[in-house]
Amino acid sequence: MKRVDYLLLIGVITISIFGLIMIYSASYVWADYKFNDAFKFVKNQGLFFIIGLIFMYIISKIDYKIYKKYSNTLLIICLSLLILVLIPGIGTVRNGSRSWFGIGSFGIQPSEFAKLGLIIFTSKYLEKNERIIKDVKKGVLPILGLTLLIFGFIMLQPDFGTGMILVVSIVGLLFVGGVDFKFFLKIGVVGLVGIVGLIIAAPYRLKRILSFLNPWEDPLGSGFQIIQSLYAIGPGGLFGYGFLNSRQKHFYLPEPQTDFIFSIISEEFGFVGILIVSLLFIFIITRGFMISRNCKDLFSKYLSFGITFQISFQALLNLMVVVGLIPVTGVTLPFLSYGGSSLLITLCGIGIILNISRDT
Amino acid sequence: MFFKKIHTRIKIILVVIILLFILVIGKVFYIQVFQYRKLNKYASSLWSRNLPIEANRGKIYDRNGVVLADNLTTVSLVFIPNQIKNKEETAKKISEILNVSYEDMYKHVSKKTSIERVHPEGRRLSYDVADKIAELKIDGVYLVKESKRYYPFNTSLSHVLGFVGIDNQGLSGLELMYDDYLTGSYGAIKYFSDAKGNRLELTEKYEKPQDGVNINLTINNDLQLVLERELDNAVLKYNPDQALGIAMNPKTGEILAMSSRPNFSPSQYQNYTVEEINRNLPIWATYEPGSTFKIITLAASLEEKTVDLENDTFYDGGSIQVENARIKCWKKGGHGAETFLQVVENSCNPGFVVLGQRLGKEKLFEYIRNFGFGEKTGVDLNGEANGILFKLDNVGPVELATTAFGQGVSVTPIQQITAVSAAINGGYLLKPYIVKSLNEPETNTVIKENKKTIVRKVLSEETSASVRSTLESVVTNGTGRPAFIDGYRVGGKTGTAQKVKDGKYMVGNYIVSFIGFLPANDPEVVVYIAIDNAKGITQYGGTVAAPIARTVLNEAINILDIKKPVGASEKNYNYNELKYVDVPNVVGMNVNDAMSLLKQFKVEYSGTGEYVEYQSPSGGERIYEGQTIKLLLNDRGNGN
Repeated sequence: MKRVDYLLLIGVITISIFGLIMIYSASYVWADYKFNDAFKFVKNQGLFFIIGLIFMYIISKIDYKIYKKYSNTLLIICLSLLILVLIPGIGTVRNGSRSWFGIGSFGIQPSEFAKLGLIIFTSKYLEKNERIIKDVKKGVLPILGLTLLIFGFIMLQPDFGTGMILVVSIVGLLFVGGVDFKFFLKIGVVGLVGIVGLIIAAPYRLKRILSFLNPWEDPLGSGFQIIQSLYAIGPGGLFGYGFLNSRQKHFYLPEPQTDFIFSIISEEFGFVGILIVSLLFIFIITRGFMISRNCKDLFSKYLSFGITFQISFQALLNLMVVVGLIPVTGVTLPFLSYGGSSLLITLCGIGIILNISRDT
Repeated sequence: MFFKKIHTRIKIILVVIILLFILVIGKVFYIQVFQYRKLNKYASSLWSRNLPIEANRGKIYDRNGVVLADNLTTVSLVFIPNQIKNKEETAKKISEILNVSYEDMYKHVSKKTSIERVHPEGRRLSYDVADKIAELKIDGVYLVKESKRYYPFNTSLSHVLGFVGIDNQGLSGLELMYDDYLTGSYGAIKYFSDAKGNRLELTEKYEKPQDGVNINLTINNDLQLVLERELDNAVLKYNPDQALGIAMNPKTGEILAMSSRPNFSPSQYQNYTVEEINRNLPIWATYEPGSTFKIITLAASLEEKTVDLENDTFYDGGSIQVENARIKCWKKGGHGAETFLQVVENSCNPGFVVLGQRLGKEKLFEYIRNFGFGEKTGVDLNGEANGILFKLDNVGPVELATTAFGQGVSVTPIQQITAVSAAINGGYLLKPYIVKSLNEPETNTVIKENKKTIVRKVLSEETSASVRSTLESVVTNGTGRPAFIDGYRVGGKTGTAQKVKDGKYMVGNYIVSFIGFLPANDPEVVVYIAIDNAKGITQYGGTVAAPIARTVLNEAINILDIKKPVGASEKNYNYNELKYVDVPNVVGMNVNDAMSLLKQFKVEYSGTGEYVEYQSPSGGERIYEGQTIKLLLNDRGNGN
């Protein structure tokens, strides 16, 4: 066996450790207030990080071809979990969504598993149906239908952000897998017509959707989070207030260690910090895509691309929300945001890519 | 070939992803550079909390630096509810110390606000109460400095100074007029706070409060206190409806003293009626001036040379016929044959009617207007009245006649003293003022200064000089004799005006007044006193108001350090009046020689010997005839 891609490994470990440090900085105020333990969140995340590293190491040793073999089983497990989580008593509600299996203070989101499971399944599907993929009816619609079904389950929780990541990452896979441009144009048109229809039916929706453009119109409602985020980013300047010196984390920005951790990074490390984090992401994404490029078989090519693309889309979705480019969707920032199962699954995905990199 | 297509599409996606990252970085750059100011401002105001610190209200001083309105420092209780951890215990302890109900205090402690001022039970606490609260050392419980207005001379100058409310806001008088200057601006301790109101361990900023601007008045507090005392005495003696007095420097228009009765205590303003508080009579009251107004007729006649006071004569038979009206003199039977100087000295009404007739209505009213009647003097105080004059078209012979001796016009005290000042200061009508300067509190730099303002020239220097000497002879020879001060030259004029009610003159109800100045050759102070409806005395200006004015003028000599003039006019004494004489210096003389010089006095000895060692009062002083002089004798022929 060849060696894994160390550059990707180093990049991932660097950004994850930085994430851990930032989770501490962002969360200690809340943690101390809520749990009387400033290290509460960072301890949790640290534990998941270590477990994730172990998983990543083990997975990087497991031949990726095994997923192709068990892709159906994995998908069925994921689907079952998604259904199970909806049942009150089994799934628990956090932040208004029944998305969690709670074990003590730890929580696991089955939708995170579904994201990875569906990419594995789709990669295999694309490899198997290489010849009919240009046929929309026979090739595209079945897999798209499956995707929308899972999207539907996730929307029942509801968790729009995760659902969207899931759908877009499959669409991205289909695009790379050779589906016609025209098809995506059609999807785009259908989507646009749908959105216009919804707006005509209820014009207030447009206002709500566009509220991110001027959050000060409703500073205590829809604009609240984005305003608090801007208050963190704006005054930071070139170098920021310095590590631990964020002000917005003092109860102004709700749960600063999760979705809006990027704002706290900006507040404490300024523009320079933002640049470094972005470059780290671009580096990891580029490594992932290069590994995919170098793959000799389609399944591993699709799989490594799919995992990387999913991470990059989720990262961009989060960043664009935080800086006020798109409406708030409630998506975490991979590697950096607090969230054990999310980090665990991301690291597992990286483990798969690392294993694939041995083969290139 | 298929791989190539996949790789192209991966590249496209990578490019799109990188472009989106650049977009995100660009947006951050935009936020940090172009929106920095706005966001930083908003965010700072979000993070920082102010603990306000009250500024000291500007003080009000008299012309010599005596504080007339001062501040006492007190402390008040302020809560920052979010910083108070144990609300029940805090409320319990503080309610016990302040002796108020627990429920009320709990409401303050748990109020959803960033800063809660405990009003009114926590305002202006005494030091021992404040100490007890400070000893509790509870987070979120603050004692802030507050100042309370204090008027050291209580009721003195109350109408001019005004008063302040509980929050030190000016509510009347100068306190109201200059409130913006006096207030200053709040300072603050700025600290950073989290969203729950807890203090963050970040640098605090202290913003110094800007103390209010100080006001220096033209008032001379010593003279003011004399005026207050004399009005108090007058109230005790005559129980008048109202009383008022003004002292002014006729050369500059500076008001040296101003007061009226009824007055009030600024620190207990709640106990008085609105009328008592708001009516600053010296500028608010309007009434018929009576004979003091004759000064204007006199000045106009002298300026227009329509009379030769020494040589023109007039026969006062007790009344004068003007058209269908018969105007009586105040003296029954009249003054008989007199020169016009005697007309003035006797304040003879028919004589003044003639003076008015000689001037004609146009001229007389032109002078009245030029002297500032019928319009506000512009004194820098609130609530000045206009006064009322006849419209020239409505002035017939009768109106002309009565106006000439001060009936049928309505004027304010400040108009009268300002007009008389013009008549005696060389002919300049001045704008009276009471605020000398506004001074910056720390450096005492002058921000705004009032100076002598000449409104217009009314008389020539010569005319003004003859007005002065004529009015001096009113005091030495005429109706103003009760105002005579021995050794000084005093000029003045009495006034007795009937009050009008419902268009009719009231019977036995007069405003008696006196306006006097000193030294008569070069006046440094002019005093106007008016007593409304004095009881238990014949109501004449000479009997009631002149003695009060005399006391004020007499005290003004020392207070204003007015030099004794050479050649003071000798008073013409009535047979029953005691004379003032100079005491000869007899120190060192033989006893017998001394006795012959001291014939007019009673002499008491002490010691033994032939020679006078010491005498009291000493030579050069003026005392009444027949007063006692004490001599200390010894054997040697030398003094001391």
